[in-house]
Amino acid sequence: MAILTVENLTKRYGGFEALKGVSLSMDRGETVAIIGSSGSGKSTLLRCINTLERVSGGRIEIDGEVLVDTINGQVKYPPEKELRRICMKTSMVFQQFNLFPHLTCLENITIAPIKILGQNRADAIAKADRLLRLVGMESKADSFPSMLSGGQQQRVAIARALAVDPQLMLFDEPTSALDPELTAEVISVIAKLAQQDMTMLIVTHEMEFARTVADRVLFFEDGEIIAGGTAAEFFENQQNERIRRFLNGFQK
Amino acid sequence: MDLSYIALLMPSLLRGLGQTLWLFALTLIFSLPLGLVFTLGSISKIPPLRWLSRLYIWVFRGTPLMLQLFFIYYGLPFLGVAFDRTTSAVVTFVLNYAAYFAEIYRAGIQSIDRGQHEAAKTLGFTPWQTMRLIILPQTISRVIPPVCNETITLVKDTALVTAIGVGELLKAAEGAVNRDMDITAYILVALIYLALTFVLTVVYERLEKRFSRHQKKEA
Ligand SMILES: Nc1ncnc2c1ncn2[C@@H]1O[C@H](COP(=O)(O)OP(=O)(O)O)[C@@H](O)[C@H]1O
Ligand SMILES: [Mg+2]
Repeated sequence: MAILTVENLTKRYGGFEALKGVSLSMDRGETVAIIGSSGSGKSTLLRCINTLERVSGGRIEIDGEVLVDTINGQVKYPPEKELRRICMKTSMVFQQFNLFPHLTCLENITIAPIKILGQNRADAIAKADRLLRLVGMESKADSFPSMLSGGQQQRVAIARALAVDPQLMLFDEPTSALDPELTAEVISVIAKLAQQDMTMLIVTHEMEFARTVADRVLFFEDGEIIAGGTAAEFFENQQNERIRRFLNGFQK
Repeated sequence: MDLSYIALLMPSLLRGLGQTLWLFALTLIFSLPLGLVFTLGSISKIPPLRWLSRLYIWVFRGTPLMLQLFFIYYGLPFLGVAFDRTTSAVVTFVLNYAAYFAEIYRAGIQSIDRGQHEAAKTLGFTPWQTMRLIILPQTISRVIPPVCNETITLVKDTALVTAIGVGELLKAAEGAVNRDMDITAYILVALIYLALTFVLTVVYERLEKRFSRHQKKEA
């Protein structure tokens, strides 16, 4: 069954149309990469899925529940509390990490499970320890984010996002703020999650990463998905001249 | 200067110092939290609450403290509310300083990166949980320096209450100077104010260190 269904999603900022009717569907366990040039609406799509932005039209369903629907041109969201509950099936990793600087790594990971999900401290800490090991950051549990490198911060941010047991992980250019040598450590963590069948929607400019880790690739241009397919056919057998040129631009 | 004259002055100056410190302490105890109430009001999503809070802050920051003091002591009785001198002084100072602190807190809250709100939201925090658990704790370390500056101003502002006849440090000195035709008392209170602001500066440096422990340390 689909974990995410997006139908005819539109998003306008004033008179500008950032998304012009985007549709996609993801199955449980799938890893989907979104690529496309800057300003094409990739972040906006993720931010509509987790309600950081309100849509202008269309329908989003997460895990069989309607997050937003448009009926007769009227955008309809459920009440605030219900909306938050549905949204919590997703979790987001940001380009700028956005760790909470006043909390240690461990506290960054446990705060939502304890304060939001109401888990008891000991369980939350045990789980955070497990997640820190998963991302290879167990030795930094008691460090503050400002003492870590960008790559380390991003790995902790991934652990924090996983701690709320999301059904769908959203990544918005998780390695774009990192130096090349730090990119690899973050990518290998995400690859590990893909092997564990985490469902992930990843915006990225790392073509090699998209090719090897993603099951499917979607190509964005000017607020629309203009191409998509399995990673193999998309990269090895691309028919679209413009997309081929875009991909070549990334070959170094 | 004559040591025995100084010794003669000290009891009344120390009594004045006590009154000054009392006004200082009461003002801080009430205005620090009251300021937060007005801050939350001024950024609230409820329009009347937001407007009222902003109007309040504007009025109290935009008019002289001395005028507010006169208004509350001499003016309020016309409206049927009469406070004695000391209460008028405390009420005025609390209301005035709450407005200044509100503005400092608001600037602090709004200086926190939007990504913090967004990260909290994606983890399921409500706006209030975000404010309480994520934004306010980070705001504290940022507002400590301006709040400390403001309280140093407060020490000196307390002298204004002489204008409505409330006893404090300056008034004690004024009495002695007028009586003895000798400015020694003024020199002594100047030294006492300097000592007070010095002690505050030291305390604040400590506070600042304590609350910035999570900030970048040499790795
Ligand atoms: N808050 C906003 N207000 C106005 N325009 C915006 C806003 N956010 C994004 N946009 C515009 O929407 C378009 C898509 O942005 P975005 O989704 O961030 O692109 P991408 O992530 O693909 O680089 C861009 O042209 C951008 O300028
Ligand atoms: Mg983007």
